[in-house]
Amino acid sequence: MPYTRVFWLAWRDLTLEFRGRAGILSVVFFLAVMLFILGLAFGPNPQDLRKAAPGVFWVALAFAGSLLANRAFGLEVEDGTLDDLLLTSGSREWIYFGKLLFQLLLLLGVGVLLLIITAGLFYLPLTAWPWYLLTLLLGTLGYAAISTFYAGMLARLRGREVLLPLLLFPLVVPVVLSAVRAMGDLATGVPVGEVASWWRLLAVFDVIYVVACGLLFPNILEG
Amino acid sequence: MQLTRSSEKGDGLTTALLSTGLAVLLVGFYLALNAPPDANQGWLVRILYLHVPMAWLCYLAIFGTLAYSVAYLVRRNPHYDRVAAVSAEIGLLFSALTVLTGALWGRPTWGVYWTWEPRLTTFAILIAVYVGYFIVRSAIEDPELRANASAAIGILGSINVPISYMSVKWWRSLHQTQTIDLTTGKVNMEPSMLLALMVNLLAFTLLYFAFMRLRGQIARYEAQRQEAAHG
Repeated sequence: MPYTRVFWLAWRDLTLEFRGRAGILSVVFFLAVMLFILGLAFGPNPQDLRKAAPGVFWVALAFAGSLLANRAFGLEVEDGTLDDLLLTSGSREWIYFGKLLFQLLLLLGVGVLLLIITAGLFYLPLTAWPWYLLTLLLGTLGYAAISTFYAGMLARLRGREVLLPLLLFPLVVPVVLSAVRAMGDLATGVPVGEVASWWRLLAVFDVIYVVACGLLFPNILEG
Repeated sequence: MQLTRSSEKGDGLTTALLSTGLAVLLVGFYLALNAPPDANQGWLVRILYLHVPMAWLCYLAIFGTLAYSVAYLVRRNPHYDRVAAVSAEIGLLFSALTVLTGALWGRPTWGVYWTWEPRLTTFAILIAVYVGYFIVRSAIEDPELRANASAAIGILGSINVPISYMSVKWWRSLHQTQTIDLTTGKVNMEPSMLLALMVNLLAFTLLYFAFMRLRGQIARYEAQRQEAAHG
């Protein structure tokens, strides 16, 4: 597999995303508004908010992720550059891995920002922050593996904005569940050794879905 | 338009499967209605003679979708794609029926229609996956892309079943809620109850294959008609 191509594709998409600004900024503001509303819904009591924090964090990230996933192939289709990508020689798996890297980096960036805002609004203690980052990495990888795959599959379909979450959310239930539990355990001070089983489940999920999606991806691109 | 001989020959086996399945189902019904009441659940246990075979049929259907989706990607035979969709259709119908019969049984037994039990939750996720499967099938017009996309959803969705089950099981066990096991009450089954259940399982297995062949045949005719109309 051409690793340099994977890297350059991700780099190009990240550059475009940050030059465009509008997309990423609207996602970040959407998240901020969503956290604000959820904070109001769960009430002013710090204990309640702290208990809700991991769930709120991952649900918000999942929603934001489905918005971001549409951007993985959105520009390619708008500008007609998807055909150019498909015309490059060799197998097509690298397109998937490039887009996956792009989505992963984007989600990680948004996730770190979201984590800080959640910690502030929902009284989530951040003392174990390296472990939060590990959970974030494993969770976003599993999420991005599936969201990138389906975004590519639906790239040229009408109504993809609705179809994508519909296909995506049932499949990422294990990711959201394990990540919420891992983060909740970390917040309540459960020893790291006991949280490890959730990370293992996340890692197993990641490996299975990155491999399966990578293998299936060349089949589902149009053209 | 002409129908090939092979497709008509296949009909004999379909009829045989269907009639044997229905006959065994009748026997199973008779046995189920004659089986003694359960010590804890009383007559309620009779729902299980329907519920368990239905759930079993769903697992068969998931496996069928997985197998035919993989077969399609390897062999590129359009019929495999149709059969995978047929299996998903049967799976969707029976997973809805499984959840429904489970809810009817759960209300008097557990006092609730729904609980976050791993198997229930897994079935709910499964229904969501297959609903998505059919929405995507109806959204894509190009037959080859449709077949590829639905094969991908079928494969990813089937892989998801054991992982979802595991994650929900762990999630619940760490939640420290009261454990309700669906298998309670039928571990020490009386021979007559076990026989009734086994006969019903056999009936539903036969019916699954009969439905697959019957519905596969219809799907084949539909495809032939469409081909005749368009070209």
